[in-house]
Amino acid sequence: MDVTATNASNYSCVYGTPSRTSHRFHRRVKCQKGLSNIFGPNSDAPIGSTKLARRMAAANEPGSSRNNNGEEKEKDEKMFECNICLDTARDAVVSMCGHLFCWPCLHQWLETRPNRQVCPVCKAAISKEKVVPLYGRGSTKQEDPRNKVPPRPPGQRSEPENNGGFPGFGFGDGGFHMSFGIGAFPFGFFTSSFNFGDARPSAAPRGTPQFGEEHFLSKVFIWVAVIFFIWLLMA
Amino acid sequence: MANIAAQRIKREFKEVIKSEEVAKCAIKVELVNDNYTELKGEIAGPPETPYEGGTFVLEIKVPETYPFNPPKVRFITKIWHPNISSVTGAICLDILKDQWAAAMTLRTVLLSLQALLAAAEPDDPQDAVVAKQFKENQDMFRQTARHWTFIYAGGPHKNSDFDLKIRRLTDMGIEDHQARVALSSYNWDLERATEQLFS
Repeated sequence: MDVTATNASNYSCVYGTPSRTSHRFHRRVKCQKGLSNIFGPNSDAPIGSTKLARRMAAANEPGSSRNNNGEEKEKDEKMFECNICLDTARDAVVSMCGHLFCWPCLHQWLETRPNRQVCPVCKAAISKEKVVPLYGRGSTKQEDPRNKVPPRPPGQRSEPENNGGFPGFGFGDGGFHMSFGIGAFPFGFFTSSFNFGDARPSAAPRGTPQFGEEHFLSKVFIWVAVIFFIWLLMA
Repeated sequence: MANIAAQRIKREFKEVIKSEEVAKCAIKVELVNDNYTELKGEIAGPPETPYEGGTFVLEIKVPETYPFNPPKVRFITKIWHPNISSVTGAICLDILKDQWAAAMTLRTVLLSLQALLAAAEPDDPQDAVVAKQFKENQDMFRQTARHWTFIYAGGPHKNSDFDLKIRRLTDMGIEDHQARVALSSYNWDLERATEQLFS
């Protein structure tokens, strides 16, 4: 018996991407811009049953057969299905391995197995802190305030780097300039007067790696200054 | 039943009945009750295995916490396999226990079970007797499994030799299935099986 060959073919079957072919007509319709306005609050109803709707749908998709386009739209919809509830993801988050979930669904999954936090799709290690929320246009309107789960983790946003110009030394809290001058040689003049363009980037927010780096650098410079002063006094 | 469980099973049910595996008659799912808490699954014995040609019926119970916890699956059709109890039909498969993932579906579970039939894991057995036979006497295991497939799952391979031995025991007043279990456990050694049954 050729065990290995059989295994290979069967496992490829098991782990292949499941093809989702369920039909959800009402959501496909919602996708078509304009139609939902006409039908107002009843846009969820399967409008395919009315002649008007069919004509509208056809008019909305010029130059291609209606059926093909419908299938494509359905495929598009499926791309945004939560991997847990299989519905269109709401309060969508993406794991670092790239899999899409509703935040309430993923949260519940992580709560169910606190000591084995793996991606429900690919079993990669995941954590609450390391998911990225997705903000689509108009997504705030769909938010359900009844959610009992903790709010989605916020997106992390860092300030863009300011390229060009003198980078300047950020002294932790920002805005604090320090200069040293010895005798008649005005170092202070150079450092305080030659900051063209005031292109100092604002201080990095607390908690980011950049903040830590800047903090460290400022300490290093203060110690260099202290050693320099001691050397001056000794000399 | 929690809403999410019922909703998901509904979707999965629709998905699985449209899948190509169903079209190829490899797997099948039926509803047992209306509230989607219990289903009946069916898998075809994979080709080039002793289970080829058989149809194996499964009991699928969907817990309220589905899909965060796995469905409870058990073989209703009697089967001779190292990872499936020949008595209760209980299955030893990691994905139905601690390796379950919420993105798995009825379809992937059934396909995994089909894969399990093709690739037994005798080092992690559910049925120790079967696993021992699998490791020590492959040929005897295959014949036994094929015989069970013929008797219980509608398989195509009749084994007259085995039937004869069973009839010997049933003539002595032993129940048919009990005789089959005893003979299967003792590599179809009629003497030892008789000894065990009457001891």
